[in-house]
Amino acid sequence: MKLLGSFLKILGYFLFISLVSFSIIRLIPGDPVQNIIGERGASEERVAEITKNLGLDQPIYIQFYKFAVNALTGNFGESIVTKQPVMSDFKVLWPATVELALVALLWSSIIGILLGTLAAVKRNSIWDYGSVSLSTVGFAMPLFWWGLIVIFFFAVKLSLFPVSGRVDVIYDIPYVTGFFFIDSLFSDDKTAFISSLKYMVLPAFVLGTVPLALIVRITRASIIDVANEDYVRTARAKGLPYKVVLFKHIFKNALPQIITSIGLALGQLLTGAIMTETLFSWPGMGRWLVKSIEARDYPAVQAGVFYSMAIVIVVNWLTDECVKMVNPKMRDQQRSSL
Amino acid sequence: MNKIFRQKSILFGTILFSFFMIMLLVSFVWIPYGYDIIFDGKSLVAPSAEFFLGTDDLGRDLFSRLLKGSQFSLGIGLVVGGISIFFGASLGLAAAYFGRRIDFTFTQLMNALQAMPSLLLALFVVAILGPSITNTIISVALVSIPSMYRLVRSQALVEVSKEYIQSAKALGASDQRIIFRHLLPNCATAVLVQSAVCCSEAILNTAALGFLGLGIPAPYPEWGTMLADSRNLMESAPQLMWIPGLCLLLLILSTQLLSDGFRDQLKRK
Repeated sequence: MKLLGSFLKILGYFLFISLVSFSIIRLIPGDPVQNIIGERGASEERVAEITKNLGLDQPIYIQFYKFAVNALTGNFGESIVTKQPVMSDFKVLWPATVELALVALLWSSIIGILLGTLAAVKRNSIWDYGSVSLSTVGFAMPLFWWGLIVIFFFAVKLSLFPVSGRVDVIYDIPYVTGFFFIDSLFSDDKTAFISSLKYMVLPAFVLGTVPLALIVRITRASIIDVANEDYVRTARAKGLPYKVVLFKHIFKNALPQIITSIGLALGQLLTGAIMTETLFSWPGMGRWLVKSIEARDYPAVQAGVFYSMAIVIVVNWLTDECVKMVNPKMRDQQRSSL
Repeated sequence: MNKIFRQKSILFGTILFSFFMIMLLVSFVWIPYGYDIIFDGKSLVAPSAEFFLGTDDLGRDLFSRLLKGSQFSLGIGLVVGGISIFFGASLGLAAAYFGRRIDFTFTQLMNALQAMPSLLLALFVVAILGPSITNTIISVALVSIPSMYRLVRSQALVEVSKEYIQSAKALGASDQRIIFRHLLPNCATAVLVQSAVCCSEAILNTAALGFLGLGIPAPYPEWGTMLADSRNLMESAPQLMWIPGLCLLLLILSTQLLSDGFRDQLKRK
């Protein structure tokens, strides 16, 4: 019964996101075929061909059915700009974004949890004020301006790190997984790995900033919350050392909220990736999406809508599952609410 | 200690926000040179007596453009705040008061809108409608409405179950009267908090769209667009990068300080 339920849920999500990405091309004012051809115009055969490729000569429900089936197999048609199937463009792009996002998430979670905990433990100290103001400003900081500042100091003034691309052009990196950290190890020149590390530093630093602010704030708040609970006072009263109480009682109980904040941060990363990739010419999904929108490359935009919504849903689901894993109470709560 | 800090956040927020409001009002009355007047041979002039903040690469006065830009950044923030109050709050109140099918429909609609990160949704709306001033407002507002709806609905749901609403119903007051005279005033603080949040989100998203070249179109000096233009001039004219960005940061910070302060007030009640 539970399996059927989750299957239906996934089916519902799938239908919803395909409906949205299916509608995009039909919501644009004007004739979709004309939109694809653009203002330059095209021969009549070309018009007929595009109409047929889009399936516009068939009734709408059949169009949707075909779109959904194609989407399931990852077939979103041909990009107008590159003339390649959208999927083959996408295959090269997504590892770049995932690699960047993972590195950003990793450093921001580690530093964020540390700073947040420190701020909560040493309340009203310089650490506390420091991290609270850091997270307040971090929240208000427009990511693209922050990126410009970072580029200004670390690349222009100090020339410490490169700012554009994933690896130095002198290296020839074979395509194995698409993740340059792994692929560069397969390269003939072993310094390629160092180069890909250097290229990662600034984008990952910029991308991780907003998540850092979020994680610091929520970690601090949840630890302060838990520290006021009765069982923490009891544990202290029976003479347990503070370190034990902090890790065994406080931190364990604050963990669900911290994990939720990391899940929220993942959502932020998706938006942030668009900005960061544009700033650093990082060849990932975000920059591709902006370029496709600028070029009115609708098949690519459709695929972009489909995948970004799918990613959001998967991330939310993963966050929920992680929270349930660390806190069995949540599982019961959800069961009772159903 | 906490009490002072709460008041502080409202205090600082108000000071900063009024500064930008004054800037906005001044821009309607007086702009020294006009935002699109090009001074030949005076490109990238450093700040001087003639050009208060210097000029950009085309020889346009930065101070004038900054003033005019407040009409887009802050102006759109305020307009979107208003739109989200109007739609978000009225839909939220209706959903909470009428419940059942109306509630279900609106909530599902808003959930659908929130299934995507805000900037992505705004980008897709622009992709569909094409970049222009109106479309920027539409896309940014569409992103803000669901969050307003959620907060107002949850606040109104609490109020609906209270006795005074029941007794107003028993006295035979019309739905309209109950919603506007009883429900709305009791949700006002929630609306206030959220409108500041919507405003800051709108400012950020407008600037982000502008930075990506998909926001307010070219001749207009929106702060995000100005930042995008300053990218290649970082070394020769760093003030082009520092000043619009700082304005943007302080403006967003002021709205966030205000919303934080209001939220604390709400909690204390």
